[in-house]
Amino acid sequence: MNQWIERIKNEWAQAWTVAVKDVRVYYLRPGMIMFGFLMPFFMFFSFSVRRELGAAEGLARLLALTVFFTAGATGPFIIPTERRIGTYDRLLAAPMSLLTLLLGKTAVGAFFAIMVSLVALLAGLLFFGTIIAQPGLLAAGIFLGAFSFSTLGLVFGSVPTTNPGDVQMPSTLLRWGLLFISGVFIPLSQMAPVARAIAYLSPLTYAQDLMNHAVLGSGLINPWIDLTVLLFSAVLFLWPSLWLHQRARVLGR
Amino acid sequence: MNHVIEVENLTKLYGRPETGVLAVDHLNFEVFHGEIFGFLGPNGAGKTTTQRMLTTLLAPTEGKILINGHDLSRDSYLAKRQIGLVPEESNVYTELTAWDNLMFTASLYRVPRLERAKRAQELLETFGLWEKRDVKAENFSKGMRRRLSIAMAIIHKPALLFLDEPTPGLDAQSIRSIWELIRSMNADGTTIFLSTHQIEEANQLCGRVAIISHGKIAAIDTPEQLKANFRRTQSVEVAFEGELAEKSSGLAELLGVNTQVKVGDKMRLYTEDPSALLPRLIQYAESHALRIISLNTLGPSLEDVFLEITGGQVGAVGNESQNDKPARRGMGGRK
Repeated sequence: MNQWIERIKNEWAQAWTVAVKDVRVYYLRPGMIMFGFLMPFFMFFSFSVRRELGAAEGLARLLALTVFFTAGATGPFIIPTERRIGTYDRLLAAPMSLLTLLLGKTAVGAFFAIMVSLVALLAGLLFFGTIIAQPGLLAAGIFLGAFSFSTLGLVFGSVPTTNPGDVQMPSTLLRWGLLFISGVFIPLSQMAPVARAIAYLSPLTYAQDLMNHAVLGSGLINPWIDLTVLLFSAVLFLWPSLWLHQRARVLGR
Repeated sequence: MNHVIEVENLTKLYGRPETGVLAVDHLNFEVFHGEIFGFLGPNGAGKTTTQRMLTTLLAPTEGKILINGHDLSRDSYLAKRQIGLVPEESNVYTELTAWDNLMFTASLYRVPRLERAKRAQELLETFGLWEKRDVKAENFSKGMRRRLSIAMAIIHKPALLFLDEPTPGLDAQSIRSIWELIRSMNADGTTIFLSTHQIEEANQLCGRVAIISHGKIAAIDTPEQLKANFRRTQSVEVAFEGELAEKSSGLAELLGVNTQVKVGDKMRLYTEDPSALLPRLIQYAESHALRIISLNTLGPSLEDVFLEITGGQVGAVGNESQNDKPARRGMGGRK
């Protein structure tokens, strides 16, 4: 029993070590700055400028965008980069489970997403005087959303390639697609029934709805359902990543 | 237990059975505790594939690997704790300092917190990097990165260290210093598995050598025993005064000469019987009024053995490199 507790403590510490190292190594990389930090703001301004949008509504949208884009950009950038320069082998050969490594990588994306969304939140609070209706829900939403979308990005990062461009483009394409069907730019309440049915398939829908609850004080879906879906998708997206890593080990890529 | 590595029927097939590439074909070998074991083969022979399977980075298609008795397919965690890996590319984090690279690896391998700094300092001093500990690795030379990469691989004091091509591209001084480090680690009890295509490296460092060719082990023995088994690659090396080309045109015709290879300003004549060739050679010089400035008989080099086994032409490669030094038997230089 003690052996297992020791092992779990070690694995936890190793995931933390991987995450801290990645934060230090990658936060200033151009690929990370472009796809992770600036992209959500570009997207927000592209689709929000000159539209009649209240500050609170804008902040809810921006928070969902930053959590979604930043968290999802990390895996497709970091893992292929590490595969290319050979440092990923060092991690794979270390005495820790693959799940631990993936949790460490997930934590990096989540950390970046939380940091960027905090910048967006501060801007909303300081410059637009936005009042947050449910701060606890906001914290939970940002946290769970960050982990959920980071694991989504990890799926692309786990594709065995040494070229980040091979997975960054498809990953960005998917995220753009999700953006338009998930009630970020067109509220769920204004969608046609078919479009809304499709929107319910996207985890971003629940993140956006959660932000609406937290910032505006109202949403269309029960916030507990939003939280549950985000938690569930965070766990669900780990499986394809694990499978792709095992596959890469067999294929030798 | 005397075996650190035990490999049974290790096989790796890339792709489908009918169309794929069989990179490693039913290997069987053991590595003993405390030895430097060389895994020698030409590019594409299956060295790196084998090493990646031994370090859990690649799943075998078939076969069994035991590391200190731990079956890698079932118990890789305990095996991984005892392994250090230095891959072909120096995989250091260039954005981090030498110190931070070591602290990261120490933390990853759960070296006790109190020991990390002490161990990192010891290694940086040993590897001549202490003065550069706060410099980012992106500013390091290739040799410095290599040394840092090795330091990172041994910070947790592994019982078994895998080195994949540790010296290509390095200057002679860096190569010597890395060889010394390998010998020193081995003297401290670390078993070394050295994959290389540098024959002289294997010759200088390894207690035993396995020669792999086309995914199969073609020979496995001590370097000297391997050479002893290939006496037919003995040779006589001769240098004449003046231009070599015009004076050596008839040497290949001498009775007993199998192959003739130009080595710098000398001519190397491969033969199965150097003692019979020597008088013929002297007679040739006298009849052509040539002045011999040096004459040596050479035993088979590990390179000769390697080429013989892997199907290369003896004496056809690297004949002017520093690494091509056949074992000299009796320095017969005469004027």
